[in-house]
Amino acid sequence: MLQSSNSFARLLAELQKLPGVGEKTALRLAFHLLKYPENTAALAESLGEVLSRVKFCSICFGITEEDPCRLCSSDRDETSLCVVEEPQDLLAVERTRAFRGRYHVLQGALSPLNGVTPDRLRIAELMRRLEGGAVREVVIATNFSVEGETTALYLARQIKPLGIRVTRLAHGIPLGSDLEYVDAATVQRALEGRSEL
Amino acid sequence: MFVTKIQISSFRNIAAAEIRFNRRFNVLHGANGQGKTSVLEAIYLLGTMKSFRLAKTPDLVTWNTPHALLRGWAERDGVGREIALYLGKEGRKARVDQKPVTRLADFFGNVNAVVFSPEEIAMARSGPDLRRRYLDRAIFSGDLGYLLLHHEYHRLLKQRNALLKRGSREGLDIWTNQLAEAGTRLMVKRMGYLAEIEPLVRRFYREIAGGEEEAGLAFRPHLTAPDQVAREGTDALLALFGAHEAEELRRGTTVVGPHRDDVDFVLNGRVIRTHGSQGQQRSFVLALKMAEIEYLERLNGAPPVLLLDDISSELDPQRNANLMAFLREKRMQVFITTTDVSTLRLEGIATHASFHVSRGTVTPS
Ligand SMILES: [Zn+2]
Repeated sequence: MLQSSNSFARLLAELQKLPGVGEKTALRLAFHLLKYPENTAALAESLGEVLSRVKFCSICFGITEEDPCRLCSSDRDETSLCVVEEPQDLLAVERTRAFRGRYHVLQGALSPLNGVTPDRLRIAELMRRLEGGAVREVVIATNFSVEGETTALYLARQIKPLGIRVTRLAHGIPLGSDLEYVDAATVQRALEGRSEL
Repeated sequence: MFVTKIQISSFRNIAAAEIRFNRRFNVLHGANGQGKTSVLEAIYLLGTMKSFRLAKTPDLVTWNTPHALLRGWAERDGVGREIALYLGKEGRKARVDQKPVTRLADFFGNVNAVVFSPEEIAMARSGPDLRRRYLDRAIFSGDLGYLLLHHEYHRLLKQRNALLKRGSREGLDIWTNQLAEAGTRLMVKRMGYLAEIEPLVRRFYREIAGGEEEAGLAFRPHLTAPDQVAREGTDALLALFGAHEAEELRRGTTVVGPHRDDVDFVLNGRVIRTHGSQGQQRSFVLALKMAEIEYLERLNGAPPVLLLDDISSELDPQRNANLMAFLREKRMQVFITTTDVSTLRLEGIATHASFHVSRGTVTPS
């Protein structure tokens, strides 16, 4: 049956490209999708919508439907800028409600193993924002992994000559954990106890 | 600490097994390649999530089966725990008392196991790799922080090597600083551990060899010296990386650092790798293992379980008797594999269980 259905096989293949989805899960999801056609149609529509509407903000590189994003066009504190790796990390910090400044998403962390060198990240754009002169403190909230820590040190070295204060989210977040998975209270404590880099 | 029962499925060549262990001595006998060592490996995995055979997950899962499952029942200070470990395509997943465990720290230490295998007897006369691997394993069995630090160092090493392979200096000094920082902490921990167990090794060596020879452990950090590391901290490694940067860029890899450290086993100031007899080398490794057990017992308040992988054939009758006397006194749980039960010195050991292992099947005998 499966061999005769090309579109079904393609769905399985596409599902398996998702993180954490193996052969078995893909099969379960695919049958579920077939069983509830109305939900599936809504999902397909929403996927199309996301693709056509959601883009990266041209200032902070977070995800948004309008450019610039709501955070960038709001009246939030312009003197304080929080740098994160991915858009989902921005949401993790935002959920704490402890940070009232603005954001910059690097879209990754330095990793020579994956070919991620400084020019592959949104570092040049960050430096241009800082040269604008409004920012007085940069809070680096990259992940507490080997790559995140190295990226933080790299940024600190680039930024310090501009006379801008650079701080790092304090430890208390276990090494190697992604910001995204750490609960809001932990990130909030870390924000309160940030240390000078 | 005791492991009272273990269930194994689709692990290496063991399709399914349930084994109830004796609280003292457990003998697993059978011909080579039948699955004896796999039982020891399963116990070790339940303690650390790692294998002592340098295996990756697919090696551990029986061929043509989707995943392996290990379940162990352990007891410590009168408290029983059920530990389950899933090994499959999605990686390794653990449960303790049926609750999923995500942090290694919550898993680690439910079963404390020490392995003694022919590889370790060989390390007294081998190159540095076996000794360094031994040292790392010995330290992390009592210090989870060391395991995380070791991962961190090797991740940094891989990243720096990838950068060197591209021949790029962009950001190289930052990776170098990070590597030197983690590497120094690694060396300091190694020195600390060796200083702790050296007096124990000295004492056990005297007890085994019966003479006046003085055993010692001399840490040999790669291309630097322990007192330099102690004095200069991170600067010692930074200087070393600095001096080799051109060579490293040319060769596209990190050529110096703690991933090449060594430790010399010393008797009366002479390195036994080159100057010791085979008897001295065996006695030394035996003393080292006893010291490791004693150290863990002091640290945890209870001795670890001991996994003896086919050791009796490597030790002569005298040293086998030394080891058995030590184990009798320690009142620790021991798992012994052997091809020949007659080489074991089990006299005076009233409580033991024995199992026959053949083609992946384990039966009480
Ligand atoms: Zn924005």
